[in-house]
Amino acid sequence: MKTIFKFATLTLTLTIMMFAVSVSSFAAAAKAENLVRGIIGPVASNTSWSGYSTMALIPGAGLIPITSTKAVFYLGFTAGSEADINNMVLYTTARGSSTITASTPVTLGGISNPSIDLASATVCPVVEISDFNPCIVRLDPTTITLSALNDYYLVVYFTADDSNDTALGLTQPSFGQSSLRGSYVTGDESRLSVGGSIPNTPFSNQPYMLMYVMND
Amino acid sequence: MKTVCKFATLTLMMFAVTVCGFSQRLSAPKPATATQNLIRGVIGSPGNDSEWSNYSLFNLVPGSGLFPITSSTTVFYFGFTAGTEADIGNMVVYTTARGSLTITATTPVTLGGKSDPSIMLSNTSVCPVAPSTAAPCIVRFDPTSLTLSPANDYYFVVYYVSDTNNSNIAGTSPSQTQTSLAGTYFGGTDYTHLTVGGTIPGAANRGPSFLMYVMND
Repeated sequence: MKTIFKFATLTLTLTIMMFAVSVSSFAAAAKAENLVRGIIGPVASNTSWSGYSTMALIPGAGLIPITSTKAVFYLGFTAGSEADINNMVLYTTARGSSTITASTPVTLGGISNPSIDLASATVCPVVEISDFNPCIVRLDPTTITLSALNDYYLVVYFTADDSNDTALGLTQPSFGQSSLRGSYVTGDESRLSVGGSIPNTPFSNQPYMLMYVMND
Repeated sequence: MKTVCKFATLTLMMFAVTVCGFSQRLSAPKPATATQNLIRGVIGSPGNDSEWSNYSLFNLVPGSGLFPITSSTTVFYFGFTAGTEADIGNMVVYTTARGSLTITATTPVTLGGKSDPSIMLSNTSVCPVAPSTAAPCIVRFDPTSLTLSPANDYYFVVYYVSDTNNSNIAGTSPSQTQTSLAGTYFGGTDYTHLTVGGTIPGAANRGPSFLMYVMND
């Protein structure tokens, strides 16, 4: 009886230990990884964004083969004390198409119209943000599994007639090594509906502001 | 007694299932030990750039371009296209936050255990074929104990001492579109002894020189 009990205890302990090791291995695999090749190196800057919609294309053709149930967007700011965002959204289209097939809200701190306090050291650890020390803001994880069959457009509309946004500087990549592309238009393009079209603007440049798309 | 036996049997079965699952997990990652790219290296015709005496060469390995491979070592490969001997004064990797030029860590890099090697390009055991643009001599540095992270950028900096050998060497010089790597260089100053908190003297503004591949082995 005692032997059986000892054997059972030993086996149970071994099982728990192996389970713990296995779980820790899985946890390690969940580290932050690039979902697409992001902006490379230090950047230049582009200012005055009040009343503009920035549009960043995350092309399915450029996705790195990682499966993730969420996408995390990182925005880069190079000047200003506060960014007043009116709305943020992620549009899905078929690969190479401009027809919107899905619209997914994007948030920061749970809201889609945040004001980002760039003067706060908790938001931007480097006190004076610049081209060489941009403030990189991590948005809330968006629940979406990016597919190589689709293209995705992250659209951020900056509030019109807003002096904070007039003084705002966004990252502008120096040269085109990223898989990301971008453009911008005047007016609010963040409230388009499924079946609508992505604005007809060339996406031949690197994106303003969007720097990285990761799994965490 | 019956209860204890049942408990023992159940626990034993759980153990067997766990062992089975665990062994399958252990066998799966084996391919990760193969030589793999940590980032997209130089593809296509690599070009050529010469005369490196008294230059500090900066090659940027951007975190935003890293592949999802975990490796505790990083191996740099240089491509030489001309010369008989390359005299290196020092080699180092600077780590910065992604997109920043402020140094957060420094890591020495060596070849044959030395951070100031002279590479004998005329030796066929080093370069089986004389270096040229069409057939670069690719030199593998010692593995560096560095686990690259997408949250950082890395600058591999090599200082070529001021001498006639380095005046006659040349390295690969691809365009930016051929790789995720980038680079720049500065003449007249040895920038391989910067310290944590210091600043990289300038952003990468061209394709990488010499650096062709960054791998796990």
